[in-house]
Amino acid sequence: MKNNRFTAAVLIPGFLFMFIFAVFPVIYGIGISLFDYNPLNIQNTFLGLENYRRLIHDEVFWKAVKNTFFFCIVAVTGNIVITLFLAKIISVIPSEKLRTAFRTILFIPCIAPAVGTSMIWKYGIAATDGGLLNRFLGLFGMAPKNWFLTTMPMMIIIIVYTLWSDIGYNVVLFTAAIEGVPKEFEEAALIDGAGPVTCFLKIKLPLMGRTFAFVSIMTMANYFQMFAQFRVFAASGGKDNSVMVLTNYIYKTSFSSYDMGYASAIAAALFVIVFVVAMIQNRMMRSDWSYE
Amino acid sequence: MKKKKNSHTYKRYHYIIIAFLSVFSAILMYPLAWTIVTAFKSTADIRKNRTKFFPTEWTLYGFRTAFEKAPVGRWFLNSILITAIITIAIILSSTLIGYVFAKFEFKGKKLLFVIMLATMMVPGQVTMIPRYLMIQKIHLYNTIWGIILPGLVSAFSIYLAKQFIEDVPDSLCEAAKIDGAGSLRIYWSVILPNIRPAIGSIGIFTAMQVWNDYLNPLLMLNDMDKMTLPLGLVIFEGQRSTDLSATMAMATIVMLPMIIIFLLFQKQFVKGMTLSGIK
Repeated sequence: MKNNRFTAAVLIPGFLFMFIFAVFPVIYGIGISLFDYNPLNIQNTFLGLENYRRLIHDEVFWKAVKNTFFFCIVAVTGNIVITLFLAKIISVIPSEKLRTAFRTILFIPCIAPAVGTSMIWKYGIAATDGGLLNRFLGLFGMAPKNWFLTTMPMMIIIIVYTLWSDIGYNVVLFTAAIEGVPKEFEEAALIDGAGPVTCFLKIKLPLMGRTFAFVSIMTMANYFQMFAQFRVFAASGGKDNSVMVLTNYIYKTSFSSYDMGYASAIAAALFVIVFVVAMIQNRMMRSDWSYE
Repeated sequence: MKKKKNSHTYKRYHYIIIAFLSVFSAILMYPLAWTIVTAFKSTADIRKNRTKFFPTEWTLYGFRTAFEKAPVGRWFLNSILITAIITIAIILSSTLIGYVFAKFEFKGKKLLFVIMLATMMVPGQVTMIPRYLMIQKIHLYNTIWGIILPGLVSAFSIYLAKQFIEDVPDSLCEAAKIDGAGSLRIYWSVILPNIRPAIGSIGIFTAMQVWNDYLNPLLMLNDMDKMTLPLGLVIFEGQRSTDLSATMAMATIVMLPMIIIFLLFQKQFVKGMTLSGIK
């Protein structure tokens, strides 16, 4: 159809909004990153690329980059492996009711706000006194430990929390994809003597290509932006900044120290990282999963 | 004979899987169950009986403290208001824009669509400083409009709506057009009724996201009275971190509404999600 007046009447306000709140802030942010910008200042001095030079020599920044990547790679891999496994074994259960019940239960943690569930983990699981983790280790005679003063264990706890809070989502998506693959493919492979595991990895997984690509790209993009749990578990970044990630570093720099020019430089770095990762992933997915 | 044996081993296999999943689900549910029972314990009970799961005596102390020490009612109202306004706006804006992209021919369509998709990739933390400064400049800081205004259009929802509207047969639109219906009329009486499941899933996901959002309220709201539930929870915890019972009561208040809504509508939830994932 064609109706230029209607098209314009809908798109102009729509895109104006998107421009103001999604595109312009990126440009504005890059602009701010060239200044020593503090909203409380009357005059903000122009620094040129000074903030970016500072970034290169900032140990905390590099630590945050490292932590962000570590978190994303471990958590995304863990998520995909666990959710594929769960989706597969759920799909084997013959009773439709039970399948729905399990999927529903796995999904419940995804529904609750991340700040709420992070807090539960902070007090119920990771707490020094009476937390489940210390009580469990106590069964083996280990003394209670303050996990919030640890480095790597704290990161692992946050990763496990993230997996707990997030697997239901991908389980549902993968189950739908598994059910969407025609049974004949698998049956043919089984007749040819393939075991159930080989069959799953070699037949089903490639046929689920589109969902697999969608899920991993979305999960990766999502995990780069994780914020709430890092604020709740360790707002200051943890011991030696061991759980400081880029999102929290941007927040902390801009809204605790009001060093918004520098924070904008960090934000620009995060933008570049997310962009590059998405590009690489897109490439990889395209060449690997082109069955459909 | 061989077939029979096969089905027998298959069944045992199922039992193992069901048993495994049951244990796994129970472990998964433990933190939530712990929160709810802790909310019903008294502080003394928590201190004395560390290893006991259930309260020695069920008490409403935690909930009473939560309601007395924090404007929970206000937070609830603010959360509902923000969620309702954004959800309705997103449903309208994304179906309208999606309709234009799906059914109309115009210059620069491809380019505009790509630009729109590109905005989806920008993480909220990248734009948060400029957004905060902009909202402050137009004097919406510390009002719920500071959250609502930037949330009225969503590229992802537009994308979803467009995918679904493309499946509505062109012949339906053409027929309505011959009957004299204008573009807006076709949108209202042909497109919308035909994409109900899509509207449902866009609505559910927008509502869930807005209700659970922490970053935007954290940026835009300052006064206790103006906060939303997730932000309020963090502030409350900061003030009363030693009072586990009250903190967990607050966490329960924040989490329970969404969980109940999910359990009531879980079929639509799962359906909507699968559709959005496959599309």
